Amino acid sequence: MSARVGQANLRAPGTAAVVFAIAHATFREAARDRVLYLLLAFALAVIGAARFVALLTVGSEVKIVKDLGLAAVSICGALVAVLVGVSLVYKEIERRTVLTLLAQPVRRWQFMLGKYAGLLAVLLLNVIAMASVLAAVVAWKGESPWPLLPAVGLVAVELAIVTSFALLFSSFANPILAAVGTLTVYVAGHLSWSFELLRSRVPAGPARTAARLAHVLLPNLDRLDIKAEAVHGIPLPEGYACAAALYGIGYALVVFLLACLVFERRDFA
Amino acid sequence: MRAPGRRLGVLLALLGLVASGSGLWTLRALEPARRAADALLYLPNGTYLELLSVGQAPLLADLIYIWAIQYYSDYGREDRFRYVKHVFRDVIAELDPHYVDAYGLGALILTVEARDLEGGLELLDKGFARNPDRWILPYLAAWECSRAGQLERAVRYFQAAAGVPGAPSLVRRMRAGMTARAGDVREALRLWRELRDDPASDDLTRAIASRQARDLQVRLDAAELEAAVRDYERRTGRPPARLEDLVRVGILRSLPVDPDGRPYVYDRRSGKVTSAAARLLGGA
Amino acid sequence: MNRPGESPTMATPVSDPPVLLLEGVRKAFRGHLGLGRAVAVDGLSLEVHRGEVFGLLGPNGAGKTTTLKLALGLLRPDRGRVRLFGLPPTEPASRARTGFLPEQPYFYDYLTARELLDFYGRLRGLGRAERQREVGRLLERVGLAGREGLPLRKLSKGTLQRVGIAQALLADPDLVILDEPMSGLDPIGRREVRDLILSLRREGRTVFFSSHILQDAEMLCDRVAILDRGRAVQVGRLAELVGRSVHWFEVTVVGANPEGLPAESVAVSGEETLFRVTGVEELSRLLAAARAGGGQVVSVWPRRQTLEDLFLEKLGREKAGRGTS
Repeated sequence: MSARVGQANLRAPGTAAVVFAIAHATFREAARDRVLYLLLAFALAVIGAARFVALLTVGSEVKIVKDLGLAAVSICGALVAVLVGVSLVYKEIERRTVLTLLAQPVRRWQFMLGKYAGLLAVLLLNVIAMASVLAAVVAWKGESPWPLLPAVGLVAVELAIVTSFALLFSSFANPILAAVGTLTVYVAGHLSWSFELLRSRVPAGPARTAARLAHVLLPNLDRLDIKAEAVHGIPLPEGYACAAALYGIGYALVVFLLACLVFERRDFA
Repeated sequence: MRAPGRRLGVLLALLGLVASGSGLWTLRALEPARRAADALLYLPNGTYLELLSVGQAPLLADLIYIWAIQYYSDYGREDRFRYVKHVFRDVIAELDPHYVDAYGLGALILTVEARDLEGGLELLDKGFARNPDRWILPYLAAWECSRAGQLERAVRYFQAAAGVPGAPSLVRRMRAGMTARAGDVREALRLWRELRDDPASDDLTRAIASRQARDLQVRLDAAELEAAVRDYERRTGRPPARLEDLVRVGILRSLPVDPDGRPYVYDRRSGKVTSAAARLLGGA
Repeated sequence: MNRPGESPTMATPVSDPPVLLLEGVRKAFRGHLGLGRAVAVDGLSLEVHRGEVFGLLGPNGAGKTTTLKLALGLLRPDRGRVRLFGLPPTEPASRARTGFLPEQPYFYDYLTARELLDFYGRLRGLGRAERQREVGRLLERVGLAGREGLPLRKLSKGTLQRVGIAQALLADPDLVILDEPMSGLDPIGRREVRDLILSLRREGRTVFFSSHILQDAEMLCDRVAILDRGRAVQVGRLAELVGRSVHWFEVTVVGANPEGLPAESVAVSGEETLFRVTGVEELSRLLAAARAGGGQVVSVWPRRQTLEDLFLEKLGREKAGRGTS
């Protein structure tokens, strides 16, 4: 080891290894979070109980099972994304583990990417678990669960957006503020059509510009919601699901980069 | 970040923007094909929404109210009135039973825009039943009836409005006036006299009431006299030469005098009776 | 890892480029809601050379931790230049040969010591086999062998510090940066950390550490910088800064009449009288006189110059009166 003699061997480890290590650690941490299991258990219980709720109705049993199941997947997924996501970065800063971590030869964006990837993996597994149970119940009722797949896929895309916001807020705000911010985006995103309505109502000027801006800048989460079509088997326009996925993934990417930018400039006092 | 890192970041950001932009553009192009117009069908009944509103029912009512105004003022929608009753009667009114403006506006949309008088009145009735201290609700209902030409119904609503303690004298004047327009002159006269003699009436009301009472008195007397004239003509084959003839043959017991205490003036050729004042002023 | 054939490099060739360089660095923090600014480090210039143990000394709030964080790129300087192995510290490569122990380190408490070290080893780009070897070696070195399977939340503060040290020594760093490595430790722990720093120096590594305790520095450092309110009031070889001479002696005598003794009594408590004498001659005269007077010398305490003394001296803050008692 002649390391101490020259400086030629100053070399940072590869991005893939670093990101994977952080993602893995994040996954492991999130997987030990009790909130996750609570919500997962709740969602599975809802999906399971949907069968019994369906007993109360006349006809359309499977529809109710599907509706409740998809709702459970999307709501529980969003709650996990918010509750686990907002503390991801903040906890590292607050508990000062970020000091030892960023003193390693790690770039800050690699850290963020690892965090994001780790939580996304948790969420994806979550969604897959819930969707599998739902599919099993639907199949057991004698219907094909496959038409639900695009809706579940877009729920996953939606969760990627919500998580990116959680990460963004969590990189500069405490978990409560970050949770409020993320939930606000979630709700406003689902009401994004109202900003378009507002835009056509208010007189031209700053107010209209603001409404237009809000409509364009907020994630149009309602456009990613194709649950009703999936349940009723209504065909979507050609290319709709693909366009929605493209929109969602691109949007999440931009928000993630923004989070990296914020984190890059942070001081860890 | 080093220069290559920054370049990569900018590149990725551009990629993300392009992807989301083109995705959104495509979605917007496809949207009309997807969204059915009956978004309102899925607005649940207010009783259930209240449960979901976690204690913020009035606020939720406000939001839906504001949103409904936007929705119903969008003239591009052909079928937008399909659920107006549902929105106002079942949702907003259930969320906030005391939302008086919402009853009024809902009724206005129903009667004027959707041409559903019964629906509008039903909404106002519901509002008045829950807010018996708000005279404005039956008052609005009365106007809707009057606009539709249903004067008796209008009178009943004005009556209800006038019965609310604290209703302004305007309401009582409207009631009396509408009663007259609906044809019940005797009742209208009684109402105007009541207003005129009510010590609580203000000067303006009293002035209007006494003038109206006068006019109605004249109208009543003139109608009675003209009826007697026609009766006389039927019996004798010709009109009376003077009004005193009516008393003479026993059709009337006595001749009324006009509010100024002067005898009524009779025009033999037309069979019309007018008050002396009206004649002097050149009126009918 | 043993370093066969490597001899301790005690001397520092001046011509070598510094391992760590700070040039006119300034860092201020914004107050709450962005109001007001507190200058933590103000125009600080330092060079840490290869193979030396450099102590960053100063009272609490002097800017020591800020300086260390600036050196590691955890904070960005408002002004000035920081170079770690010739690179800006924001470059991960500059940190590839640097280990860092934060003050009172916190770790993911759901991990075990082995898992934690394995994680950091991955961040340092070590392969699986390398990690296993390195982690085992370090657990042994910091005396954690046998406890590596416990979750970190079950470990005491001192044991956590050992985990922190092990972490800082991962992947054979050339420079080890330690923030208050001895604070909060019991005497045995402090001794161990001292020995560790000395052995790091023997291995030829550069050590840059902060402390507010001069005794630590006296035993360990080749050079020190004394910080006060963000400025380096003194940088240099320790021996040149703090005289090792004794300022005065404090002597406690029992059973002798203080009046007859050739020294000024400072305090009397019961039988005991406390004297203060300067110089060895005066001391021996006092001791002789005390014995002659039938008294008994209970204690003789040589009072050396401390960091505090140096500080008060440097800053001309004598009048607080704390320096003399």
